[in-house]
Amino acid sequence: MNEVPTVFQRRIIIGAVLSIAAFALVGIRLVHVTLLKSLDGVRAAEQVVARADLTDRNGELLARDLPVKDLYARPKVFWDKQEAARGLAEATGASETRLLNGFNNAKNPYVLVARQITPDTEAKVMHLGLPGLEFETGGKRYYPDGRNAAQVIGVTDPDNNGVSGLELGLQDEIRAAAGGKVATSIDTRVQYILAHEVNAAREMFRAKAGAGLVMDVNNGEVLGMVSIPNFDPNTRRLSPGDSTRNAIAQDIYELGSVFKIFSFALGFEDRTIRLDESFPIGQGYKIGKHTIHEAERMPATLLGRDILAQSSNIGTAQIALRSGGVRQREFLTHLGLLRPVQSELPETARPLYPSNWGTIETATVGFGHGISVSPLSFATATATVVNGGRRISPTFIKQSASDLRGEQVIKPQTSQAMRDLLRYVVTDGTGGKADVPGYDVGGKTGSAQVPGPNGRYIPHALRTSFVAVFPAHNPRYIVFVTLDQPHGTKETFGFALAGYTAAPMAGRIIQRVAPLLGVPNNAPPTKLASGYP
Amino acid sequence: MVRILNFFCVALMGFSILALYHVSEKTRVAHVQLNQVTATIAKERGAIGVLETEWQHVASPERVQQLAQSKLGMADSASAQLSSFEDLPRRGADPAPLNNTPLHNASAQIPATPESGM
Repeated sequence: MNEVPTVFQRRIIIGAVLSIAAFALVGIRLVHVTLLKSLDGVRAAEQVVARADLTDRNGELLARDLPVKDLYARPKVFWDKQEAARGLAEATGASETRLLNGFNNAKNPYVLVARQITPDTEAKVMHLGLPGLEFETGGKRYYPDGRNAAQVIGVTDPDNNGVSGLELGLQDEIRAAAGGKVATSIDTRVQYILAHEVNAAREMFRAKAGAGLVMDVNNGEVLGMVSIPNFDPNTRRLSPGDSTRNAIAQDIYELGSVFKIFSFALGFEDRTIRLDESFPIGQGYKIGKHTIHEAERMPATLLGRDILAQSSNIGTAQIALRSGGVRQREFLTHLGLLRPVQSELPETARPLYPSNWGTIETATVGFGHGISVSPLSFATATATVVNGGRRISPTFIKQSASDLRGEQVIKPQTSQAMRDLLRYVVTDGTGGKADVPGYDVGGKTGSAQVPGPNGRYIPHALRTSFVAVFPAHNPRYIVFVTLDQPHGTKETFGFALAGYTAAPMAGRIIQRVAPLLGVPNNAPPTKLASGYP
Repeated sequence: MVRILNFFCVALMGFSILALYHVSEKTRVAHVQLNQVTATIAKERGAIGVLETEWQHVASPERVQQLAQSKLGMADSASAQLSSFEDLPRRGADPAPLNNTPLHNASAQIPATPESGM
């Protein structure tokens, strides 16, 4: 009965046990891999940051990816699709009709309810207690400064690709440094002050639009760039009256009398003018069948320096004609005014200038008519004129070097004379309202006529501008401001010229930004260069 | 002798399997913990990022100016009211502006306030 197993039987039993053990191990491993492993703990965190932070020059945040979620629904599992659509619409702000149509469409197993919902919205959705909801983690670009820097920083699309401004211009750098930071040259404080003052001036003078720029004259860093009307980059929706255009970089204008700076610089460069030379002004200056007039009443004669200080068109035309059209065109080309300005901003504009650069064109270009350039291009060329005469390029990246001046474009003596002359415009000319005690402000006003849709100038419509450099004896920054079609007020005696509208705005900006930028307010008063050239 | 050797080898193999499993299990647990810590760090980083963004928003120059004007009655200062530390007299030094020396850069005029009766 109790038979002892044979050697073969024992071997079979051992083999069977080993086989069962092996299969059991495989089975256990299968259960482990398929059922238990997903519960082993928290899944590794998903990467939501696709773009680096954009910061200002002091490390303040300008743009950052915030974790948000896209919400999808599986309508098959809803027991009441209409109620689900209503609840989700209330929680997320989505269209109830769209959701209901999507839920009733049998072709769609998944319906996108809302993109980039915030944690608050997510909590509201969870509170509904609906089954069949799925969240997909992603990132949404957020701009803490909102409208103030909207055009210069730009925006991204829902897929986090830059579509305008530095978000597009610095796309490669931002993607390469994902999770890190890209430091721009913008100063948040300067940007805010610029936006605040341009907004205030636009409201005060009931202007259609306004814009401003603050730039370092020695390394080209743009510290602030504002264009109003602007838009809210966080909503990705334009309200009535909003604009995405960057008027400083993207638009071109006839800038008017501010352009006279280049005629005087050319005159100094060619030694064709003396500041104490007397020029006949009169009631009009005839060139062929054309007559050049003054915007305001002028005396019969003006000294060279007063032609710029009082902004005489006739005097400037005579100065421009002394150098001639060929030389004027060559000079403006050297200053970079006849080609689109290059910077990290993708928005740029091609200048418009006469194809036939004859005598009358030379005269009108001399006082800023008949040539249209972008304010960024103009400010860059002006910075070159006052920084010792060396070329700079505008940049929106924070630079480690404070001096990035390049090729010598005009003589240092010409630059010195222009600085003195710009200071004279503020102390004794049309730019008086831009003066700020201690900061030695130099500058030039410009009140240009505005062309209408038919190409003719609109009566009484002006585009007023002011370009300021400070401190004039050793410039560090340039400020450019402009207002589109401002109206005079009781305080300005009804005048809307740049001296009453743009110049005081520039003065207020300098008064507020200069202390923040560490410019000492003890500059000695600059005297007009004597005996030059 | 061969049986003892076989038994020893099988026992050694079993022990090795157990030891290997133990190490594998410890590794798995450590991996789970690492994932948990990584997820927590990522979550905290996300929260810090949100807080930094909120801070940037509430401490923006625009909001600070509004609060300073509405709550503290502050206003922009004129350039003549500003000076640098280098211009301050050293301790014990003669405070030059008080001995009839014209004030440096005092070219700005402070507007008369209604309370001054002017």
